[in-house]
Amino acid sequence: MSSTSIGLVLLGAPLMAFFVALVVFRKNHLAAMMTVLLSGAATCASAVFLLATKGGTPAEQASRAWIHAGGTSIEFGILLDGKTLIMGTVVSVITLCVQVYSLSYMSHDPGRGRFFAFLALFEWAMLSFVYSPSLMQTFVFWELVGLSSFFLIGFWYRKPSAIAAAKKAFIMTRIGDVGLFIGLILLFQTAHTLDIQTLNTMSVATGNFDSGRIELITLLLFVGIVGKSAQFPLHTWLPDAMEGPTPVSALLHSATMVAAGVFLFARFHPLFMQAELTLTVVLCVATFTAVLSSTMAMVASDMKRVFAYSSISQLGFMLMGLGAGSLFAGYFHLTTHAIFKALLFLCAGAFIHEYGTNDTVAIGRAGARKLRVITLGLIIGGGALAGFPLLAGFFSKELIIHSLHDKPLFLAGAYLASFMTAYYTFRVIFLVVFPNQDSAVQVEEPPADSHDDHHSSSLPLHAPILLLTVGAIAVGWFGDSIASVLGLVAYHPSLPEMAPAIGVALGGILIAWFDFGRKSAPQTGFISKLAPLHTLFKNGWYLDVIYKKLFVGAAQAVAGLLFGTENHVLDKASDMLGQGTLTIGETTGKAQSGRLPLYIGLAALCFSGAIIALGLEMMR
Amino acid sequence: MTGASALLPALLALPLIGAILVMLLPKEEPGLARGVSLGVSIATLALSLVILGLYDTKIASMQMVFDKEWIPGLGARFKLGIDGISIFMVLLTTFLMPIILLSSYKAVTSKVREFCALLLILEVGMLGAFLALDLFLFYVFWEIMLIPMYLLIGIWGGQKRIYASIKFVIYTMAGSLLMLVAIFYLYAQYGSVTGEYTLELSLLNRLVLPRDVQMYCFAAFALAFAIKVPLFPLHTWLPDAHVQAPTAGSVVLAGVLLKFGIYGFLRFAMPLFPYGAAELAPYMAYLAAAGIVYGAFVAFAQSDVKKLVAYSSVSHLGFCMIGIFAMNTQGIEGSIYAMISHGLTTSGLFLAIGVVYERRHTREMSEYGGIWKQMPVFAGLFLICMLGSVGLPGLSGFVGEFLTIFGMFISGGTAGEPSFWAEFMPHPMLLGAVATSGVIFGAIYLLYMFQKMMFGPLDNPKNKELKDVSWREIAVFTPLVIGIFAMGLFPKPFLQTMDPTVDQFVTRFEAKLAEPDGPAHIMGQAAVAPTPEPAQVEPHAGHNHAPGEAAH
Repeated sequence: MSSTSIGLVLLGAPLMAFFVALVVFRKNHLAAMMTVLLSGAATCASAVFLLATKGGTPAEQASRAWIHAGGTSIEFGILLDGKTLIMGTVVSVITLCVQVYSLSYMSHDPGRGRFFAFLALFEWAMLSFVYSPSLMQTFVFWELVGLSSFFLIGFWYRKPSAIAAAKKAFIMTRIGDVGLFIGLILLFQTAHTLDIQTLNTMSVATGNFDSGRIELITLLLFVGIVGKSAQFPLHTWLPDAMEGPTPVSALLHSATMVAAGVFLFARFHPLFMQAELTLTVVLCVATFTAVLSSTMAMVASDMKRVFAYSSISQLGFMLMGLGAGSLFAGYFHLTTHAIFKALLFLCAGAFIHEYGTNDTVAIGRAGARKLRVITLGLIIGGGALAGFPLLAGFFSKELIIHSLHDKPLFLAGAYLASFMTAYYTFRVIFLVVFPNQDSAVQVEEPPADSHDDHHSSSLPLHAPILLLTVGAIAVGWFGDSIASVLGLVAYHPSLPEMAPAIGVALGGILIAWFDFGRKSAPQTGFISKLAPLHTLFKNGWYLDVIYKKLFVGAAQAVAGLLFGTENHVLDKASDMLGQGTLTIGETTGKAQSGRLPLYIGLAALCFSGAIIALGLEMMR
Repeated sequence: MTGASALLPALLALPLIGAILVMLLPKEEPGLARGVSLGVSIATLALSLVILGLYDTKIASMQMVFDKEWIPGLGARFKLGIDGISIFMVLLTTFLMPIILLSSYKAVTSKVREFCALLLILEVGMLGAFLALDLFLFYVFWEIMLIPMYLLIGIWGGQKRIYASIKFVIYTMAGSLLMLVAIFYLYAQYGSVTGEYTLELSLLNRLVLPRDVQMYCFAAFALAFAIKVPLFPLHTWLPDAHVQAPTAGSVVLAGVLLKFGIYGFLRFAMPLFPYGAAELAPYMAYLAAAGIVYGAFVAFAQSDVKKLVAYSSVSHLGFCMIGIFAMNTQGIEGSIYAMISHGLTTSGLFLAIGVVYERRHTREMSEYGGIWKQMPVFAGLFLICMLGSVGLPGLSGFVGEFLTIFGMFISGGTAGEPSFWAEFMPHPMLLGAVATSGVIFGAIYLLYMFQKMMFGPLDNPKNKELKDVSWREIAVFTPLVIGIFAMGLFPKPFLQTMDPTVDQFVTRFEAKLAEPDGPAHIMGQAAVAPTPEPAQVEPHAGHNHAPGEAAH
């Protein structure tokens, strides 16, 4: 079997599963779930097989024309190279984990057939995005990934907050998409092709592109990335997206979909490297986002929201690495983050499911540490996120920090963000592992009482968590193989180079221990001593409020104003014109025997037309 | 292809005979009238598919031409033909007509026979206008369309139907009268240049008018077509007509009638007066871009769902206008694509509104909410039409939007390949960017609509009784949904069919635009610009004795 036909299985299976689950097994949830699960397994197997056989070999591409209009040809197909193979494998492995997990997690939801169908739709769109050989295909599936995100966030469609979040996510990412869309068109106009490999080859050779043009195009592409990867100022949709079921948060809103923006950057890395200005903008935005969202994560009480803010911040880290010029650092962090963050969300989901609350303090007090496997997953995943030495996130984050070594400002930002990352991660861990029943902390969301069906010990829930836990420990050691698949050579920082970052991470953990872990810890965090800052962070820097006032309010005002103009000016004018005609018609009509106002009116118009024509003739 | 030439008149005759037949049926049996008219419309669709089968996609020019003398005194001929542009318009019409008839089985219960007959006559008018290759014949069909539409709104419409129908007629008539004047001016000019009086389009297309006159004539044509499009700010008749019209009327209006605006520009106004088109192109394009944004914002302010969709048409047709004034193959093909897509998706939206209106008799969005629970199948169908309209990739709307915007971006030429259009279209990138912003707005108001009606808690007790779509209603939506997917997933065959014609359109436009200014003349036969004896040419110029005369 050729690798392209395996690619067809890879892309075709989830799509088939989507239709079969949605149309054929609309009433039979079990059959729908099994279809999707089987297709997920098939997809995963083909992705792993492709990575094993093709990794490190030259890129392979197969495509066919989709649009052909006036010399403009746009192709769809499949591209197998290092970047797509790694990302494709990550996506399909995590999708499979989440699907298995959802067997248990969603087992009592009346809409679970639909849920699984949309997971399959997402998998199809995401993989088609990843394996895309042309920017057009990338864009098309980028949008479809956004659509499946819309459906999955709004899965509980009778919950107004879920619907609002789904709409917000769709629209905010679409604002970014417009940038990407214009960038795509300009790129096409400049280079006459959208083929990714050709574009990258062209951009490396000097003199192919005008440098101002490249800056503009890359900036526009970056606008799209900002939307999808939830960077400042378009990041506010991601925390709200946590309204969706937790498996969705794990799969889409931390591990894979939001990483699509970072992947796009990596995809066009050679092109971005030609744009000095854009790289500076990227570094500024990414560093600022990493710090900004970490501050919010430090005070969030909802466990899922902590991890959501953390995703935003880690995406910022990836972009910092890529923006600093290190493709490997960014890509490696993308891979490790996908694993440990999916793990953290699956653990959070298990806790939430068990205790019926999202509040970390409440979960801890309810005795969450009794769920051993899940608590272990939380500790390992959290350690990896915090950059605890020798866990997955440690290696990749070291590389990112190393790549920033000659940019002191951004380096400082990175240290600050990693410090806060270690702090907020271990805050969650300590609150769960060492609950202090006597502390004065208010529980914002008390546990639900009605939640009595315990299935968190079942195998489908545990197997993915265990697998990802192993991944979060092990993947960090595979840096060399990932680098070789990408066709790069991994850099190994020496111990002295790593020391500051290790110190920062351990410092964060230590302060978290002081605030939350030790016996008689206040469990309130040092930020709460600075009340204004605490309020600021807690309210997400008031950005949502500002946006709402500024943009939503303005849009509604403009809409109202224009509608007023429509009714009172434009429409009125045409009515008056019509009324005038009719009046003339009626007055003149009275002179005749019958009343034919319309006819007369038209005759009057005809007459004026004739006069104009006469005027024309005379002007000649 | 002598046998094939009878197909086009047959395509017109079929619904006409059907209409007469329906009127002859007994009045007491509305079911019979419905059945017969549906059968006739399906037969017409089948015939149009035969025409598609015989259509040669490699030929750019008119095919299956039917040419008969009609009014010899006037020089008007009964000439029909089909090319890569009109074939899609014809198919759109014949495709939508059975859907419309089927959709009004329950909605229209009074004067059923007349209703069905009028729709069939409307079909004759629309098909005739798309096929006509003679200006006078076109004008006749153009006016024929008005009458049934006027009656459809006026008889079966809502509460303000009389106001809406008169507004619709006056607007359209006012626009088209100036066009009639321009037609006769053109007729007179051609006659005085060649000595032969004709209204046949292919002959008139060869006449090059002086540049300033071209501007006036183009303006006269443009007014008629811009009202039809409708181009901002001439759109105010549209929301009223849409809201007051019965569902069938809204679907015809949005699905087919609006397309005459764009079609008219492509078939008549631009080829006849290329210089006028070029000079006025920036204004048209700016108005179109303004309309995209304006329509979107005003749609967002609506509480009446039908009005919201009506304003969305103003926004969507703006893309079509942007596309044709990009004056390159990509833009124009995108425009045609967007027209067909709009015909499918907006028809779907109006039909969906019709479905809930028949059940609840209100168009206020706040009256609905949480309907998904009650009507899951309907929700899915509605969703597909909505997303198609939003321009989601994979559905029909995207291809058209992409190509029109892309066309506008490259209308000044691409890197290393400047375009002849660059000097006429200032700031194409700005226009493209404004149009692109319409893509966001489109998502906002349509999602807002869908969310208000379908999602959320089902708290209005009146909605708890709602029944999901019947098999008849599913049958109404199915072809539309298939079309939306087919056009979104496989654009290539569609684009291939229009490719030669559109290429030829652009080439001819460019060639005619390059004709030197001066007195009216036949293409390629202009008085040589640096005339040795200008004194001899000058006095004749006023009487339009161009050298073309000698040819006849």
